Amino acid sequence: MSICQDLGLNFQQRMGANISQLERDIGSEQFPPNEHYFGLVNFGKHAIAIQFYRPYIFVDHLEKNIATQKKKVGSIAPKKFIARLRKEKEEFDNYMQQDAHEFLNFLINHINEIILAERNQSTLKVQKNTSGENVTCNGTLPQNTEPTWVHEIFQGTLTSETRCLNCETVDVGQNTSITHCLKCFSDTETLNNDNKFKCDHCSSYQEAQKRMRVKKLPLILALHLKRFKYMEQYNRHIKVSHRVVFPLELRLFNTKCFQSDDAVNPDRLYDLVAVVVHCGSGPNRGHYISIVKSHGFWLLFDDDMVDKIDASAIEDFYGLTSDIQKSSETGYILFYQSRDASC
Amino acid sequence: MAVQPDSGGKDDVKTQFATREGTYRLMTLSEYSRPNRVGYTSGAGSSHVRVSLVSLPPGSGGGAPGSDGHGSDDRICFNHGKELYVYVYRGIKKAADLSKPVDKKMYKGTNPTCHDFNTVTMTPDSVSLVIGFSTGQIQLIDPIKKELSKLYNEERLIDKTRVTCIKWVPGSSNLFIAAHASGQLYVYNEELTCGTTAPHYQIFKQGDGYSIHTCRTKSTRNPLYRWVIGAEGSCINEFAFSPCGANLAVVSQDGFLRVFHYDTMELIGRARSYFGGFLCVCWSPDGKYVVVGGEDDLVTVWSFSELRVVARGQGHRSWVSVVAFDPYVVSFSDPESEESVEDDRQKPEGVQCYRLGSVSQDTQLCLWDLTEDVLKPPMRARASTHLSPNSQSFSPNGVPGMKLPKGGKTSKIGHKHAELSQTAAGEASGAKQTKSKANNVATLNISVGKAKEESSGTLGVNSLTQRLAGFSFGDRRSEHRRNFSLSSKPVEQKAPAASAVALRGRGAGAGAGAGAGAGDACDPLKLIGTPACPRFDECPVLEPLVCKKIAHERLTALLFRGEYLVTACADGCVNTWARPARAPSAERAPRRLDRSERADRADRPDRADRPDRPDRADRTDRTDRVDRIDLVD
Repeated sequence: MSICQDLGLNFQQRMGANISQLERDIGSEQFPPNEHYFGLVNFGKHAIAIQFYRPYIFVDHLEKNIATQKKKVGSIAPKKFIARLRKEKEEFDNYMQQDAHEFLNFLINHINEIILAERNQSTLKVQKNTSGENVTCNGTLPQNTEPTWVHEIFQGTLTSETRCLNCETVDVGQNTSITHCLKCFSDTETLNNDNKFKCDHCSSYQEAQKRMRVKKLPLILALHLKRFKYMEQYNRHIKVSHRVVFPLELRLFNTKCFQSDDAVNPDRLYDLVAVVVHCGSGPNRGHYISIVKSHGFWLLFDDDMVDKIDASAIEDFYGLTSDIQKSSETGYILFYQSRDASC
Repeated sequence: MAVQPDSGGKDDVKTQFATREGTYRLMTLSEYSRPNRVGYTSGAGSSHVRVSLVSLPPGSGGGAPGSDGHGSDDRICFNHGKELYVYVYRGIKKAADLSKPVDKKMYKGTNPTCHDFNTVTMTPDSVSLVIGFSTGQIQLIDPIKKELSKLYNEERLIDKTRVTCIKWVPGSSNLFIAAHASGQLYVYNEELTCGTTAPHYQIFKQGDGYSIHTCRTKSTRNPLYRWVIGAEGSCINEFAFSPCGANLAVVSQDGFLRVFHYDTMELIGRARSYFGGFLCVCWSPDGKYVVVGGEDDLVTVWSFSELRVVARGQGHRSWVSVVAFDPYVVSFSDPESEESVEDDRQKPEGVQCYRLGSVSQDTQLCLWDLTEDVLKPPMRARASTHLSPNSQSFSPNGVPGMKLPKGGKTSKIGHKHAELSQTAAGEASGAKQTKSKANNVATLNISVGKAKEESSGTLGVNSLTQRLAGFSFGDRRSEHRRNFSLSSKPVEQKAPAASAVALRGRGAGAGAGAGAGAGDACDPLKLIGTPACPRFDECPVLEPLVCKKIAHERLTALLFRGEYLVTACADGCVNTWARPARAPSAERAPRRLDRSERADRADRPDRADRPDRPDRADRTDRTDRVDRIDLVD
């Protein structure tokens, strides 16, 4: 607990200078109304990971907490959120460092489960869901066929198998683009070694290839870069700091709309809206910061600090072209939002 | 999860690669870098190393200052981090001598980002080099004589953002253009001052997605013009003048290619990236195609005459940083079509092939063959014209004896017109679009004529008569050709084949034309599926002929010269690759080149915009050209 207190103190001390700086940077006229830019006090582990989700997933009590603040900027300690999290998931009930991607997946899935559970309790009622839309649940249908807002936002569909596109993990190569990584991800996958495919015809495990095509594009495309790799010679995982460029605007190549009645838009144009950045040299420790686009500004959330940054500074998070440097600040999870969703 | 071979970082860096014309080899002794590479820091930030090459006029005694006595008239300039170097460039014949740079500059608080030699004013012992900086300033120096040093935008009153591209106006001794990350492009006259106050602008011309301003002052000052292009604040990444010098292609971070007529400042056409910003742009040596590369990892080919994206090249693994045509590798499958360069779009059997090169942040070089069978409009109508293989003249409808140097451009225009009219008439949904295109064409034609007068006047470069002659000639010719007149309504004209269109159609042609309405035309989402941005399966996808990893760092420069090609990467190394010793299939290439060059030369004042191109040929010295051709052969 001493860490938290230290940070708390720290935050009190630097709050004044930093906060007014952000307001100065943006300018009082341009400061978006009803917007609160709050850093989160670092509670050892959890808070580091939750900064990125804040703009998208409105966890009630946390959001309310911030929305009721009078100040435009500042920081809060997400104690209640952490307490709830610990109760819900024992893996997080400790002070160990956690992976942002695992955390995100847990959070998204868990919120989804809660929604579905609530829905089950109140069948045949019109429910106001968390995102504020009315969802009519038809009691005759199995509950889980009705998509929740979590599905609406994050779920995409791949054709070779229906697979949630939540935070799809893509392997990274040196000096590549996220586009190329995605292409490799969807092009051809060879199933071999331990991963052999059981063929229905010959009833044996065989090497096989499968291709994936995106059939339905999600509103928010969350891309997880596989920046950690197992190295046999070291018998441990290392961080992959490869330079992987990601554009501010993205569109997928391998979209194919097979069924015309599918209400999907294969031409979806995505805008980068947030990046979770991993800082550090190894996979087992480090620090997360996040950059978020809000009302045309790019903001950098680093624990309780919030700073305005220039869009051109994003290239600092692409990665490194050589292995000489040990530590790096690299984009780890990218959030792209569909343009038609934002307007 | 997907298994991706992590090849990007592990592939060996290639020192040679084979094409159908032979093997290109890295000349390890011709590597240019800073004089002392000790203490070299890798990954020194975002260093966009660019290369300018110039061939000075041969000196009388050969002992010109800055020359090293080895008889090379070539000078190379490149920037890296805070430094800028000018060396005598000795090509592939002699090893680089890094101990004696012609000039070296080290800047404090700013980095040089781009530079260009003036090929109009250069002499054997002097050359003007204009340099743009990361903090917005511009410097003019003479790296050989070292007497000259002027600063523009010194107080950053004109623009505070990075200079992204700087070039001399083709054929001009004193005008240069600087593009900035702010999305603005300024025309400077090196003889004028920049004033002591920030300029007040007044609008001079406005169009769809751009506006042009002049300074509101009593005395003329810099900048002469300010072009504001694209979405607000979206960085202009590069611009390039067409080989004839009349048209200006600009690519921006907003994902648009915009092609302007430079003198009339009219927007001629545009293309939109698959997604993300366009980073680089170049013109085909004959000015028919504009090729762009960008953050979509693609190489996109846009037809100037049809105002549409005609092909995309997929092969890079990351953003494409430079695209450049290789004017020395041009081949034709049909020898009989030899005399019809400017007309081969009418002649499907005369297949022309362009060679294109591209380099990327993926550290790879790609070479592409753009063949006319890919580039031509699908289901193209056959022209009723015939070409006699033996005659120098092209006589479509009884206009006899057209000599190429005069006809090069004009026949292109006439041709363009024909092409568009075909399109127009074929376009089922018709009249409105057609009209916009037709207007467009008219503009084009008028402006060409005008441009000639204007540019001849202001730039004062060669053969006004020739160009005017060319203009009127073209005019006449167009009238003759299938009775198409330049300005009247092409809707009424009968196109030879109504089938021309199917692929073009989608009823959205307006997006590509300059006549498209404001608003919608700039919305990328609405452009998807239009000729300005076809869907991926609506447009031919090319594969690279060669795709090789040739560096450890991301590549930032690519130039083609007669004997070699030059690449540079972000760690500040400039490499030279020798062309195949003897090109087996390039036997006819020199002649082709000769012809296209000639056609080309007829209508362009100079080639100051591309120092990589055969500058010397432009000085219309026959022996020079022969010289170069021999080297290719």
